[in-house]
Amino acid sequence: MIMPHPLSWILALPTLALAVLFLVPSDKVALVRRISNIGVLLPFVLSVWVFAAYDHTLGGFQFIEKTPWVVPFGISYHLGLDGINAVLILLLGLCSFAGVLVTQSVKERVKEYYILLLLIIIGTYGAFLSLDIFFFYFFHEVATIPAFLLIAVWGSQRKEYAAMKLTLYLTAGASVALVGLLALYHALGLQTFDLIQIQQHLAANPLPVAVQHWIFPLIVVGFGVTLTLWPFYTWAPVGYAAAPTAVSMLHAGVLKKLGAYAIIRFAIQLMPDAAHTWMPVVATLAVFNILYCGLIALTQRDIKYILGYSSCSHMGYILLGLACMDIIGLNGVVFLMFAHGVMAALAFALIGSIEDQTRTRNLDELGGLTKAMPFIATCFAMTALASAGVPGFANFVAEIMVLLGAWDHYRWQTVLAVLGIVITAVYMLKVIRLAFQGPLDPRWNKLVDAQTPLQKLPFILLLGALLVVGCWPSLILKNIESGTSPVLRSYVSNH
Amino acid sequence: MFPTINWNLISLELLITATIVVLVLADMFLPKDARKDWVGILSYIALAVIGGFWLTQRNLVGQTFSGMFVMDSLAWFFKGFFLLTMFFVFAMTQQFFTAMAGRRNEFYLLLWLALLGMCLVASSADFLLLFIAIEILTISLYVMTAYLKSDKHSLEAGMKYLILGALASGFLLFGISFLYGVAHSTRFAVIQAYAGTHAMDPVMLFGLVLIFAAVGFKIASVPFHLWVPDVYQGAPTPVTALLSVGSKAAGFVILIRLFFGIFAAWHAQWSFVLAVLAAVTMCYGNLGAMFQTNIKRLLGYSSIGHAGYLLMGAAAGTALGASAINFYLLGYLFTNLAAFLVIVLFFIAVKSDEIADYAGLSKRSGLLAGALLIALVSLAGMPPLAGFFGKFTLLMATVQSGLLWLAFIAVVNIIISLYYYLMVVKRIYVDAPRVTSPIPVSLPMRLILGILIAGIVGIGIFQGPFLNAAMTAVKGMSFILP
Repeated sequence: MIMPHPLSWILALPTLALAVLFLVPSDKVALVRRISNIGVLLPFVLSVWVFAAYDHTLGGFQFIEKTPWVVPFGISYHLGLDGINAVLILLLGLCSFAGVLVTQSVKERVKEYYILLLLIIIGTYGAFLSLDIFFFYFFHEVATIPAFLLIAVWGSQRKEYAAMKLTLYLTAGASVALVGLLALYHALGLQTFDLIQIQQHLAANPLPVAVQHWIFPLIVVGFGVTLTLWPFYTWAPVGYAAAPTAVSMLHAGVLKKLGAYAIIRFAIQLMPDAAHTWMPVVATLAVFNILYCGLIALTQRDIKYILGYSSCSHMGYILLGLACMDIIGLNGVVFLMFAHGVMAALAFALIGSIEDQTRTRNLDELGGLTKAMPFIATCFAMTALASAGVPGFANFVAEIMVLLGAWDHYRWQTVLAVLGIVITAVYMLKVIRLAFQGPLDPRWNKLVDAQTPLQKLPFILLLGALLVVGCWPSLILKNIESGTSPVLRSYVSNH
Repeated sequence: MFPTINWNLISLELLITATIVVLVLADMFLPKDARKDWVGILSYIALAVIGGFWLTQRNLVGQTFSGMFVMDSLAWFFKGFFLLTMFFVFAMTQQFFTAMAGRRNEFYLLLWLALLGMCLVASSADFLLLFIAIEILTISLYVMTAYLKSDKHSLEAGMKYLILGALASGFLLFGISFLYGVAHSTRFAVIQAYAGTHAMDPVMLFGLVLIFAAVGFKIASVPFHLWVPDVYQGAPTPVTALLSVGSKAAGFVILIRLFFGIFAAWHAQWSFVLAVLAAVTMCYGNLGAMFQTNIKRLLGYSSIGHAGYLLMGAAAGTALGASAINFYLLGYLFTNLAAFLVIVLFFIAVKSDEIADYAGLSKRSGLLAGALLIALVSLAGMPPLAGFFGKFTLLMATVQSGLLWLAFIAVVNIIISLYYYLMVVKRIYVDAPRVTSPIPVSLPMRLILGILIAGIVGIGIFQGPFLNAAMTAVKGMSFILP
């Protein structure tokens, strides 16, 4: 191994950058930016490295680090990587790096902005990497509060309302899930929050079905709020629309995947019997997500709202895939988490770069932007194609896997879900037609395209990821498969 | 005929008493110029000495004065808690009264007296001593609350606190008389032995309810909370800080002794009542806080809410529940005192406690804004701050005892409280300031604020040692059923 404790370094480097930021005077903007960029770039590089170094033929958790933390409760600082979170930290690395790169446009209170952004990034890394249920929750909440200030201070349009709504919804969901997790802790009676120990114990002695039955919905609904499970999605479009670009990217791209991740790790894997009973309900809610949010997206005129509702709509596929409880569906889910995350971050980054100059993102005011910003427009067209599930992009691979997995279990839900892809195509093409094509409003003559390589880098990075993974799925699919198969092992043998 | 007395056990209280005597003499005989500062300086020195002495008492266990006075791990824990509280309250007092040009020296004496009362509460093993200890504490608080003679809010607060406090004392004595009537003693040990061997006795239960009324008054639990908003708002801010941390903690020592020790045998009967009280208290406090425009009043309501959370630990009735109370209070000490210190410093500069005047504080003083942000977010129970792990342990104890409905009510309350704390945060960080002049903070105050923030973050991240301290305090407690 080249570097000892790579996972701890992924957490430590941005934390170090955060500590250094406190010491830098706030008027040294360039220095603040440089420190933050490095503080995000290095963990990104590390996450690429651990992703590549993860041995999928071996499977299981690797790079494990464990230190007892709160002994009486059985809490330990426990990090580890399996096929699932390896993909997700790669996603986070990509999105966070692209996120700080587009943050160049923030001009006010720069230092505070980066401090809060780094807190979100640290919290999200921590949640993905923790193999201790307590620390998962801890880091998940660390990532929640900074978003309030980021949206309320640097946001746009109803920002205070949006910030409050987002924070309260996410905290409410997480707290409900916390009660579920604590109930699980006491029901197990193991006096430990260690996920590996709990998994091993449950493999031999599953929880009584009656207990599973009432804990399972607490965890699924609680973390479902983060995942914008219908009908708990209303915070998301408002929040994303009001948030500054980097926060929208991280939230829509990565943070909501924490919900799906938690459901896989704590609900599906630990309580497979309850999943068997409850998942049909989730599948039905998933259809509501896809169609209901998709139809709302059709009616919006604000591009960020369209993307926000679109993001909620696409979470329906993740939910549907989770509900399948079979390996192809679950692979599709993790794949989609990655693909949608990159796509959503890209879309919000592009709209952000337009809004920075136009100060509007209303379809009625924009038009013909291709002439002024050809690079941005081309990227957006490709994002729209990816979003609509056109082959060649990662989203296609993911959605096809989810739909294939669902077909066997939920026939009519799958049929309706396919309809969602058509709806996506409609609203995405509508954005392209109204915002990017047609005559250019003279107001927008002065718009500047992304010019320097550094300005283009975030978009190229994200778009490249979508295309590379779309054309060469096994690049991440091998890791995903090694991670998902243990999740369903006990379920497959029992049902 | 005189019982042998182990002076060693009460040496801490004796030292505090000696300090009070020295301070009185210093105030009388020092030259006028010197006494202005020296009473404060002497107080700090004495506190440091007593703090050092407290450290040596770690393993001191025993009872004396014929079993009226007990020294055990719980008493030790809370005495340290009270000393720490005083350290920060002294700092606030020094700032506050320098600015208010009030009579500062007598105020230090009253603070010392309150400290003596609180330490005696922690060590009481007899209801009569407990009564006296509570009175020492409460009477000094009466005077301190009404200390700003020319401020009618302060006088009103003092009057309210006096009337309701006297009523609570009356209840306490009345309740004690019932316990005495049944068990023929006021000693904790004797009453515990009675409760352990008898089924629940309605007369004794009546006494217990009356005593709980007095404790409920101290911890600000519904329905004995009516004084809180007015007194918190009207009292000089250092007193409010003391009320919200020290006095509340003193109430919880009694609560722990009552429900985890003396009457532990009747757990099944009182658990549900405490759970209902916890639920009502937290809902009242948090709903009331939503509409406040004065920061001290807001923290008053929030303090009722926190009493509700803490009562969950009592309702759980397990060792984990009691440890959770101790841990929560420890985090609450740093968190609440940080908030009140910011309020004092802000008040000195701006002469206002209105939340509207906090608008744009982040542009006037990054330090004060940051400290208040951390304190409020910790009060709301968000990681990586002390308040989070406190709520976590309390919820853990509640779920463990099967009070799932209470846990859900707590969750709802956490969301409500998050709302009103974030509204203040919004004022500080988002709104434009009415006045843009910066608010300077002196170096010593920066230092003390730094200690408080370090405490909040430190307890929030390195929970282990603090949780161990909280658990040890419960494990080694006297009057615990085997």
